[in-house]
Amino acid sequence: MTYAASTSEPARPMLLERVPPHLWAIGFLLLAMPLFASNFVLFQIFGWTFILGMIGLSLMFLAGYGGMVSLIQMTVAALAGYMVAILGTSGVATISLGWPWWLHIPVAIFIAALFGTLVGALAVRTEGIYTIMITLAIASAFFYFARQNYGLFNGYTGFNNVLPPQLFGIDWRAPAPFYYLTLACAALAYGAVVYVARSPFGLALQGVRDNPRRMGALGFSVTAHRILAYTFASVIAAVGGILLVWQNAQVSPGTAGIPQVIDILVIAVVGGVRRPIGPFIGALIYVLLRVFSPDVLLAFGLSGERFKLLIGFGFLVIVFFSPDGVLGLWEKYRSRRAEARDPLRGGRP
Amino acid sequence: MTLAQMPPAPVRTAAERLGSVSSGNALELRGVTKLFGALAAIADVTLTVRPGERRAVLGSNGAGKTTLFNCVTGDFLPTSGTIRLFGEDVTSFPAHERIRRGLRRTYQISLLFGGLSVADNVYLACRGVSRGRFSLLRPRLSDVLVARASELVEAVHLTAARDTLVANLSYGQQRQLEIALALAGAPRFILFDEPAAGLSPTERSELVSILTNLPGHIGFIIIEHDMDVALRVAESVTMMHNGRIFKEGTPQEIENDAEVQELYLGSGGHV
Amino acid sequence: MQSFYVRHPLWSVILLVLAAGFLWLVFAPWPPGLEQVMGRKRIFLNAILSGVTLGALYFLVASGFTLVFGLMRNVNLAHGSLYLLGGYLGYEVANATGYWLLAFPAVFILVGALGLLLQHQVFRRMEGEELRQTLVTIGISVVLADIMLWIWGGQSYQVLSPDWLSGPMTLPLISSLRSNGDAVYLTYPQVRIVILVVAVLIGLAMWLVLNRSRLGMLIRAGVDDREMLAASGVRIQYVFLGVFAFGAGMAGMAGIIGGTFQSLSPGEDTRFLLASLVVVIVGGMGSIPGAALGAVIIGLAEQIGLVYAPTYSVVFTFLIMAVVLAFRPQGLLGAGR
Repeated sequence: MTYAASTSEPARPMLLERVPPHLWAIGFLLLAMPLFASNFVLFQIFGWTFILGMIGLSLMFLAGYGGMVSLIQMTVAALAGYMVAILGTSGVATISLGWPWWLHIPVAIFIAALFGTLVGALAVRTEGIYTIMITLAIASAFFYFARQNYGLFNGYTGFNNVLPPQLFGIDWRAPAPFYYLTLACAALAYGAVVYVARSPFGLALQGVRDNPRRMGALGFSVTAHRILAYTFASVIAAVGGILLVWQNAQVSPGTAGIPQVIDILVIAVVGGVRRPIGPFIGALIYVLLRVFSPDVLLAFGLSGERFKLLIGFGFLVIVFFSPDGVLGLWEKYRSRRAEARDPLRGGRP
Repeated sequence: MTLAQMPPAPVRTAAERLGSVSSGNALELRGVTKLFGALAAIADVTLTVRPGERRAVLGSNGAGKTTLFNCVTGDFLPTSGTIRLFGEDVTSFPAHERIRRGLRRTYQISLLFGGLSVADNVYLACRGVSRGRFSLLRPRLSDVLVARASELVEAVHLTAARDTLVANLSYGQQRQLEIALALAGAPRFILFDEPAAGLSPTERSELVSILTNLPGHIGFIIIEHDMDVALRVAESVTMMHNGRIFKEGTPQEIENDAEVQELYLGSGGHV
Repeated sequence: MQSFYVRHPLWSVILLVLAAGFLWLVFAPWPPGLEQVMGRKRIFLNAILSGVTLGALYFLVASGFTLVFGLMRNVNLAHGSLYLLGGYLGYEVANATGYWLLAFPAVFILVGALGLLLQHQVFRRMEGEELRQTLVTIGISVVLADIMLWIWGGQSYQVLSPDWLSGPMTLPLISSLRSNGDAVYLTYPQVRIVILVVAVLIGLAMWLVLNRSRLGMLIRAGVDDREMLAASGVRIQYVFLGVFAFGAGMAGMAGIIGGTFQSLSPGEDTRFLLASLVVVIVGGMGSIPGAALGAVIIGLAEQIGLVYAPTYSVVFTFLIMAVVLAFRPQGLLGAGR
């Protein structure tokens, strides 16, 4: 199963001409969403989708472009959220330092990215299959530590009342502003990943994915590239984590629990780790399942809590039949239609 | 651009400038041994190649030729012995450090980046030995390295396929790309590991012309089973047998040597 | 082993000194000054014994995990779920029949059969695709965890140890001296010592099978070079089936043991999966002695940390793992890369 994300680039017309019409339509729809969608849809469905999509994007960057399946992204996100609570304001006045937003947000991102880099440094010197194990072990260790530690992480309870700063007089946690905030961050993250994929760093990372031995033989330091990939991915995950904590207005060990860590992997794989849009598709599916499946399950006479079973089964089905996720299914469908239209084009897609 | 117009060696390395280097040899191996458990893949190999020299290393399968290459590039650490590259002791250097000092290599089985296009592959090769490897900014259209990569793609006749994914190239095209990767940047010394393997006769003569037309300052060692190709491009030959150097000489001397004939040539012309 | 002494003479001396000091701490009565610094000896001995017996449990769980990875390159992240499932099933069997011992063969067969099914129907179709196998095991663990939650709910279960195993036993370890000079010997729960002994025996048995039997030779050959083994005509699939089923069965039986001297509840699958991961990362993948060494180290670290620095015991475990990863990524007894 290859996780090679493809980045072949055609000729370069103008920006306006380059974006296909259906993307313009989607963009317009997204921008106009608050006009016709309910607060719940804006905040709980789209907000959550953009946030989880960003954290999943961080995983996709490492897996699809770097060939490293890392389970530390959710932990990095949660750590950033914790740092915002600890360095900024929260309901736990004994621990929170109350720094201003322009200080505690960048520092939180920096600390989370530093953590991600250190984990990367530990994980990249072993074979690929160990990466999942090592990152899972470190993620678990973080969960247990946060739960036991009361001096800094406030143990089991965590921090409540963690709210975004009131910039420009807007309550950024109100549905419409929050929607735009998460949309903007997600769009930026997506754009950054697409752009960087074809920068020297991104190309080199893909080279490392395809043939690390040859990259060394071309003069690249494979280890350095992998570690820096973790840094880049961690910045994205950190931003997602801060938004997540603002959305919930709280952070606790459960934010970084193993089920949450696995969920990010599910999101990225189900959506497809070969293209940056995959995690967002996976996130939307996940969010819709989480929000609506309890009702569906109840209709079938099962407890609403069995959504985990649904998600697990769905994930298994995808990994079995379409390892490239939903995007893979879509691409197979498109190439089969193309073959059907053009009888001369047979064989492999 | 033809291969002959490729830029000459860059300004001398810091080590050379500091005068910490003495000999003028491109590659110098002294007493290099590589043990795998009890098996000596190569034993006590001492070899000297001058800058610009064209050397062929021949021998039957298992003679230790590829192991020799792997030690020189840094894939293996030798069990004992020293390796000097342009006078600098690189025995414990990781592979990428040796590459940045002018060493290049091609592989028996092409090691390419299947998920990227031909142009991207060559661009990476050019990037590897210059600065800005970690740059997050996309190269402009006027970027020097992009231009050099294009020239290199042209030099190995792959311009038509420049945007094809490497996984979709034919075998011969992949071998051409393999050579292009080794020629990127400003190589000073190249190791060619069986470049003719699997090529058709036309492709072989093209390979010979590429190799013989390399700029004079680039030395190389070629491992080949096709004696025809090897003896046409090499000016000196080293024969290996059972991990040791068995004989050295000019192509004519080796061809006419009785012991070599008995061991390897028999009645045909292939090792 | 001799080569270790030869290659690292300084480390060998340091380890010998530490080992001697440790043995003295355990067996000799402590002078009063030492007790003031380190707390009571009884607490220390309890921590050591708890650490070692916990290590025994971790070894039983991790050995199956490391065997499966070593031979089949399959990182089975559903291993923790098999542990918990075995524990729950063992609880049911022990309750239904009243015989604690009967739970073991029953669970070995049941969970082993599940393992057999998984290997035959699922993993065999994905041979060579390590990443995909791992993802499937993750999916299986999610599904199993929820099914177990559905059937057994969120409360804690305790498998009652049989009467003939309950209660304390006296160990030949001096915990303190009475004022008249008589030694007070340490008492410790019998069941934990028995489990320790059993784990050691099982470990020895596994080592013997791996190193002295024909089957073991096949397995070790397969760990070294799977394709070669298959090419030599051995029905490699049967070996895989056997090893996976055995690993699953072991995990299940370990679940009974864990349910006996700790408890069973929905977080335990994750906890023991994590423990297996850390044990094999520290000890080395595919190595039974490595699993034993890693298990003892991690068990001790956890328990000593719990007793002497409760909020940071997780950090100790993590630090040990990080140090091993930083300096010897293949694990303490893992094969060199």
